[in-house]
Amino acid sequence: MTKKTPFLLYAIIAVAIGAMMIPTVIVLSVALVPTAVALIMERKKGWYGGVTVGSMNLAGTLPYLTDLWFKAHTIEAAVNIITSVLAWFMFYGCAAIGWAIYAVTPNVVSSFMAMTAGRQITSLRAKQRELVQTWGPDVEVIYEPEHLKAAAAAEKAATSAPMRTSVAAPASLG
Amino acid sequence: MAEPATQLRDLPAPQPAQATTPPPGPAAAPRPSGSFIVVRDRYTIYCDRPIPSLDMPNATAYEVTDRKQEGRAMYALVVRPDMTPRISVMRVLKGLEIAHVLHLVDWGVAEWPPAERKCVIVIYHRPMGGRVMDLKGGVFRRVPDHLFAKNIIKPLTDALNELALRGITHRAIRPDNLYYMDEARTNIVLGDCLTSSPAHDQPVAIEPIESGMSMPSGRGAGNVYDDLYAFGATLLMLSIGRDTLQGVPDDEILRRKVGQGSYATLVDDERPPMTVLECLRGLLADDPEQRWKTENVDLWLAGKRLTPIQAKAEKQARRALRIGDQEFNSLRPLSYALYTNWDKAMSIIADGTLEIWLRRQFDFNEMANAISSAIKTSYDLPGAQKGEADDLIISRILMILDPRAPVRLRNFRVNVDGFGPALAIAMMRKDKLKPFSDFITKELWRYFINAQTKPGPEHQQYEQTFRDLKNYMKDQSTGAGIERCVYELNEWQFCMSPMVADQYVMEVKAILPALDAASKSVNTKMWPVDRHIAAFLRARYAKGTSMQLDSMNDARADRSTIGMLSVLAIVQWRLGPEALYGLTSWVGGLMGPVISSYQNRNKRRELEREIPKFVRKGNLAELYNYLDNPEERQKDAEGFSWSRTEFNAADKQIYDLEHGQFDRQESALRLGRQAGAVCAGGIAFLTLVGCVLSKLF
Repeated sequence: MTKKTPFLLYAIIAVAIGAMMIPTVIVLSVALVPTAVALIMERKKGWYGGVTVGSMNLAGTLPYLTDLWFKAHTIEAAVNIITSVLAWFMFYGCAAIGWAIYAVTPNVVSSFMAMTAGRQITSLRAKQRELVQTWGPDVEVIYEPEHLKAAAAAEKAATSAPMRTSVAAPASLG
Repeated sequence: MAEPATQLRDLPAPQPAQATTPPPGPAAAPRPSGSFIVVRDRYTIYCDRPIPSLDMPNATAYEVTDRKQEGRAMYALVVRPDMTPRISVMRVLKGLEIAHVLHLVDWGVAEWPPAERKCVIVIYHRPMGGRVMDLKGGVFRRVPDHLFAKNIIKPLTDALNELALRGITHRAIRPDNLYYMDEARTNIVLGDCLTSSPAHDQPVAIEPIESGMSMPSGRGAGNVYDDLYAFGATLLMLSIGRDTLQGVPDDEILRRKVGQGSYATLVDDERPPMTVLECLRGLLADDPEQRWKTENVDLWLAGKRLTPIQAKAEKQARRALRIGDQEFNSLRPLSYALYTNWDKAMSIIADGTLEIWLRRQFDFNEMANAISSAIKTSYDLPGAQKGEADDLIISRILMILDPRAPVRLRNFRVNVDGFGPALAIAMMRKDKLKPFSDFITKELWRYFINAQTKPGPEHQQYEQTFRDLKNYMKDQSTGAGIERCVYELNEWQFCMSPMVADQYVMEVKAILPALDAASKSVNTKMWPVDRHIAAFLRARYAKGTSMQLDSMNDARADRSTIGMLSVLAIVQWRLGPEALYGLTSWVGGLMGPVISSYQNRNKRRELEREIPKFVRKGNLAELYNYLDNPEERQKDAEGFSWSRTEFNAADKQIYDLEHGQFDRQESALRLGRQAGAVCAGGIAFLTLVGCVLSKLF
């Protein structure tokens, strides 16, 4: 019971505001369809897809919304907007750009990170080469990760364990 | 040791003074060259003027002139390089004028052109009357009997007395080593005793039985009784006028001496003059305790008649023991027969015949028990092979049967005090050294001491010495082994390293100049400190070089190389000389392992650049200090350790970067999406702000 009271309150407030902003709601309900689709589609991968597409979708919707808010906040004006091809093009075009951003940025970041690591390895190898040139090959201490060390130790233990061999009884013992 | 102080010159040689020029002998050797050498800026020795009539078995005689005292008759004996001259006796006799002993004027080591090496040269007053008895003919111009005692026995007894007073044994008294100093042949003298090891050149007939049984090189300095015996034998031959045993093999002489006694053997069928008979019998007594001393001879010369010596008869067995076709009733002849029939000896030992014979015939139970014990313990020796154990048993039994005889092991026969010179000569002549090492390691010396019926004061010293030698033999490192033994036993043995042998180095301070000279001719890939040089330094200068030599034996190449350098450096630092260019260059070329011991390549290059500068200074100590600087070593070690850590850390980073591909893609996806959302959010916000502002203004 205690949990239902705030929800009802929010619902009443939302309906009241919605009633006052019907034109805006009309426009948004048509314009933010791609956002809703993105939220539904990417809900298992976190909110980044919805946020990206939604932000761009909203960015495409905002010029029409501000017209609506600052000129005539009427249902007629809202209908005019949602019936405009250009407006639809803006809504869905921006949403598509959002999708594109969402799809491309991980690859860009990955490439950048790979490039940085390669340069780091090259630099480390150069440093190692310099150490070998100054101190000779004895300076080379190869790093061996703990899990590989453990595996090698286990393998060694297995090979060095005495093999159980069957010993034939001397003939005299039958 | 006398300083070499030698000059070498070529022709023309100065002419010796007329008075000292000997008549050229018919047997003069062909003249090899016209050169001469000058020793101590005083004595000119003519390499091309040998005097064969004064040659010694191990030394060649040459003419000498004295620049300070022209007209003084002298000659030089140049000692064979493979002989050990008696340097310690030379040091005592130099300059001493002992009546009736050939006067040693000087001695030294000098470059000898005919041998193309350094040799020991001994300069004597020249005996103008020549030898008393010729070497070849063995004929002696007899002195009338009434003058024999006065002209021969008396002066030579005085000479022996004088030598004995100085603690010197002559050990070369024989008819052909007596000279007349004057042309009138009235002043008799004992000849040279310095150019060979003690008694080396003595015929078996002249030596006491025990000494005669030994190898010539292993007879030892002995004692005055040995000299008196040789004196007696010499007198006997001089009195008879010839060597009665000429042509008789040594084995036969010894067999006769052992069986019949020395006097009877030497007299043979001759009859010595009655006037000297008593003296000869006294001097030729086989038992040293019964043998006449010089006091007895003096008393006899003074006219006091002494009790005639009756040789103590050896105990005789009732029943003889047979070896081959010979029968023996007493121990000494049996012992000698066992030695001469070495391969048959084991048969009568192994079957117990000898032991039973000793028990039944002599009641020598203690001796029989000793033999039984010798057999048992010799077979129990670890690693003993049958043949070697048999030889050891025979050797021990011979010692038990005849304790005064030398230690005999097949062809190896040596008196304990002659072991040192014998070893040195065998090493110089590159003979087999196994019997010598067996003598030490199988403790033949101990069996010899144990076999002696009367403990002598020298036995304790032998025991101490040979115990030390055994320890050296056990040690296989450079500076120990048989080489160490030879230098410990022979105080004046020159260093026998092939690199410096021809420099005749007897003192530590001469070793570096010799190596410096050798650096021009030897293979410089070899180390300048070999087993001989290391052993020589250990024996002569252990206090100064012991730690360095230990370091030289380190298994690590760099430590051993720096150890070798430190050995040479410490000797140069303490004993000089200031600069050794050849040797420093040689050693500098061997410093590869030391340079490589530095890990830092830049440091190595620096060392390689710097070494030639030290070579130019010729100072080994500076080179050593530079190469083995502790601060530089520590710096290098710390730097290396730090670099290893750095390398390992870098390797770990590389591993992480190379093996973090999957993680990177995941994080790139996450970061990319975050970045996309942020960008899109930013664009939306900017659009909102732009639109609102455009409506407001």
